[in-house]
Amino acid sequence: MAVINVDSRGSACPGPITDLVKAYKRANNGDTIELLATDPGIKADSKAWCERTGNELLGIEENNGEYKVKILVKSKK
Amino acid sequence: MENGSLNIIMFSGTADKLIPLGVLTQTAANMGVPVRIFVTGWAMTVFKKDGPKNANRISKEFEDVAPMLMKGLQDMKAPSWYDMLKSAKEIGDVKIYACSLMSEALKLKSLQDFDQIVDDIIGAASFMQMSSGGQVIFI
Repeated sequence: MAVINVDSRGSACPGPITDLVKAYKRANNGDTIELLATDPGIKADSKAWCERTGNELLGIEENNGEYKVKILVKSKK
Repeated sequence: MENGSLNIIMFSGTADKLIPLGVLTQTAANMGVPVRIFVTGWAMTVFKKDGPKNANRISKEFEDVAPMLMKGLQDMKAPSWYDMLKSAKEIGDVKIYACSLMSEALKLKSLQDFDQIVDDIIGAASFMQMSSGGQVIFI
């Protein structure tokens, strides 16, 4: 049940989702990934990624052009 | 293929078309969608050995806008199309194939004549077979 922090600030689309995928590859079910990003596409894209992969989007916080995306890992085989 | 697939016929060899190739491929890899790229036409010139570093041509009709766009991407520290393809291959199921007809026409006889990002030289029938049932786009 670890929390995995990913800092993708300053990286443009599709970089933040790639950083998310890299973290996801070493995560286990029950872990939470917290992704920081400044690319505004991350709001829609993290949702699309979760729908596609079957993981759970816990929420997105927005603060001064910075996004914190929380994802619950639950689709690892 | 499982999960559907994205199959790209890459014909253009200009930077303005290679950037969307990189973005689409990396995005598909992110989403777990398999990608097969069939390199042909003018794109052969940028996937051959020492090709990627000389891929600076821009489509003629937008050459007035191109410097601004390229500068903007540089300011953002956006990765190059080549780095996006490399990254996509690291995280996903991505294969890049060179067209055998064009290879022969350009005297590119073996895989050693291509950049290392290219997986194999294949014919159009192989590409058609591997892409059947998936999405096919032509760039």
